[in-house]
Amino acid sequence: MIEELREKVKKLLAGGDVELVIGWEKGSQPLSSTPVFIDSPEEADRLVFDSTCGNNPAVYSTKDARRLVKAGKKVGVVVKGCDARSLSLYVAEKQVKRDNIVIIGVPCRGVLDSDKVEELAGGREVLEYSEQDGKITVRGKDLDLTFDAKDVLSASCLACIYPDAKEYDIFIGEARDGKPNKEQNAAIDEFEKLSSEERWKRMEEIYSKCIRCYACRNVCPSCYCNECFVDQNDPQWIGKTPEITDTMIFHIIRNLHVAGRCVECGACERACPMGLDLLLLNRKAAREVEERFGYVTGIDSGEKPAMADFREDEKQNFIMG
Amino acid sequence: MVRLEKGKFDDFIRSLAEDYIVYAAVTTGGKSSFKVVASAGEIDEGRLLTDRSPKEIFFPHSEVLFEYDEDGIRETEKAGKPIAVWGLRGCDVKSLAMLDKVFGTARQMPDNEMFEDPYWKRKYDNSLIFGLACNEPRSSCFCNWLGGGPHSEDASDIFVIDAGDVFLMQPVSDKGKAFIGKMTDAAGASAQDEKRAAGASVAKASGADEKKAAELASGARAMMAEPPDLDGLDERLKGIFHEDIWEEMSAKCVNCGACAFVCSTCHCFDVQDEGKGGKGKRIRIWDSCMFPIFTREASGHNPRPLSRDRFKQRVMHKYSYFVDNYGESLCTGCGRCVIVCPVGVDIREVIKRVLSFEGKGAR
Ligand code: SF4
Ligand code: SF4
Ligand code: SF4
Ligand code: SF4
Repeated sequence: MIEELREKVKKLLAGGDVELVIGWEKGSQPLSSTPVFIDSPEEADRLVFDSTCGNNPAVYSTKDARRLVKAGKKVGVVVKGCDARSLSLYVAEKQVKRDNIVIIGVPCRGVLDSDKVEELAGGREVLEYSEQDGKITVRGKDLDLTFDAKDVLSASCLACIYPDAKEYDIFIGEARDGKPNKEQNAAIDEFEKLSSEERWKRMEEIYSKCIRCYACRNVCPSCYCNECFVDQNDPQWIGKTPEITDTMIFHIIRNLHVAGRCVECGACERACPMGLDLLLLNRKAAREVEERFGYVTGIDSGEKPAMADFREDEKQNFIMG
Repeated sequence: MVRLEKGKFDDFIRSLAEDYIVYAAVTTGGKSSFKVVASAGEIDEGRLLTDRSPKEIFFPHSEVLFEYDEDGIRETEKAGKPIAVWGLRGCDVKSLAMLDKVFGTARQMPDNEMFEDPYWKRKYDNSLIFGLACNEPRSSCFCNWLGGGPHSEDASDIFVIDAGDVFLMQPVSDKGKAFIGKMTDAAGASAQDEKRAAGASVAKASGADEKKAAELASGARAMMAEPPDLDGLDERLKGIFHEDIWEEMSAKCVNCGACAFVCSTCHCFDVQDEGKGGKGKRIRIWDSCMFPIFTREASGHNPRPLSRDRFKQRVMHKYSYFVDNYGESLCTGCGRCVIVCPVGVDIREVIKRVLSFEGKGAR
């Protein structure tokens, strides 16, 4: 698979079809891969793809100062299913021209939640990692463990509906169809059963751990505002402390800003250095949007995004009263 | 050097807590930080490094400087007891000493008054720091690039080595010597004074203990890779300030504040007034040079508009400007930033790239 990916990328670059390819290369840490920008065929052998590729590379086609990715230049992006949804969303939201990107899908088996791996390793440092046939092996000093990949996959991946790109130009291997994955939504079902006081309490438990580093926001493909509301100071909308009153406002507003736009990639949750359960509310919002507006984010770049559309026949039950 | 049997560790912490506010590594919900403890059971001894850095003990994420209302201004009260920190790794001990250069050193203000940060000083000055040797450094550790080492005693008051069943304690500073002296005196005076009973648990370390300590030290040093030569890094950085290499080095950085917020030496802050009606407070809150608003001026102009500019600032401040101002890099090599960076930026690779750069501006 990886050889095929590298060959395809070499061809794209050599033939001038794209000027740059965004993908992943091996990271400096045993359990990490890291985004890489490949601009010549010789560099293409750096590309990797495995379950450590947790970043959503789509993010680099919108974040500021990505001169490399400025409009007009054709860019290839190597994507998992969720990452592809971000690109479709960008096209739908007119952030990226479809003609300017070459979507290169890779078959995703889910990505790791390193916190889960570390927990299973029981504090011993993981120095080596390998994967085969749905099994993950980690090694270190006094450490040699093999476990089922699903025990250490990200929550986002356990509930994933489109592991492979729905819209793509090139697919490495054979793209599987998406499938609804309702049974994995237990966490949201549980949350919905709670009273509003209990929900608030649950949210307080989660958000009180936040240190306001904004890693979640900055790796999120859907958070691409030129100026985030938390970075405005005239007027200042929100306090800057890590106290729960401030962190709660940050997370609730971010949640509402990505409702109908979140592709449930889980990049935010994996990025969080404090291990916050960030998917709970985001996936709850995604479910709401699907139930109310029949819209699933990022699977059809031709469809107007839920929050940018109004249909006369849509349910109006969000109007309380 | 004295020895403390681990079986008596709980007594030791409890008795320490009578005279000090004791901070130690505590893990909750899978993440660790330095918190106030009253007994040894609360301490996570297994961790090499805490997820959150210990700077927050003396320089909290948000700190109320004073409160005001119609009756006037009230400074926040200072805590009654001095602070003792148990189990700071060498890099973290060093980070506090670096921050002390910034906050604790008197400097001349524009009005010619001398100023030192009272909020920092009142906590740090009387503190008692127990450094803890790293017998097994992680692959992300690079303290040895920056003059530290896994068994470095620098800036500790008392340096502790975990030698299996015992903690071996080496007094380093005068404060540390006085503390250990008191403990051994108490041990001599036996247990009739109940409060000092815990002191009775220390005994003079044996020759075998000293040998074990030396073995652990050389073992730990051997686990770390040879460091590159960082001589002249600060000048090199200045030389390449205007080069395009920053574009390449910063390309994947998404400009979050994760690295700065877990960093034990990053210390930029914002000051905010939170008030309503006639009442309010002034708070000092961590900030990061990675955020666009950090340098945005009232006019809207931002001298560091690009992601690359902000990335460069963090690197320059650590390995060049701080060297100019204080004679050392503002980095201890703890590797926390390497561990948390959500996109895998490894500051060691950045340093190596700068050292190997041969384009314009390089010496
Ligand atoms: S909010 Fe989180 S899960 Fe949703 S798109 Fe952003 S990074 Fe992905
Ligand atoms: S990444 Fe985690 S700690 Fe940082 S702002 Fe987001 S939720 Fe808070
Ligand atoms: S820059 Fe990184 S390695 Fe250096 S002190 Fe800060 S967190 Fe530690
Ligand atoms: S280096 Fe990493 S942690 Fe630091 S700002 Fe950039 S992306 Fe965030």
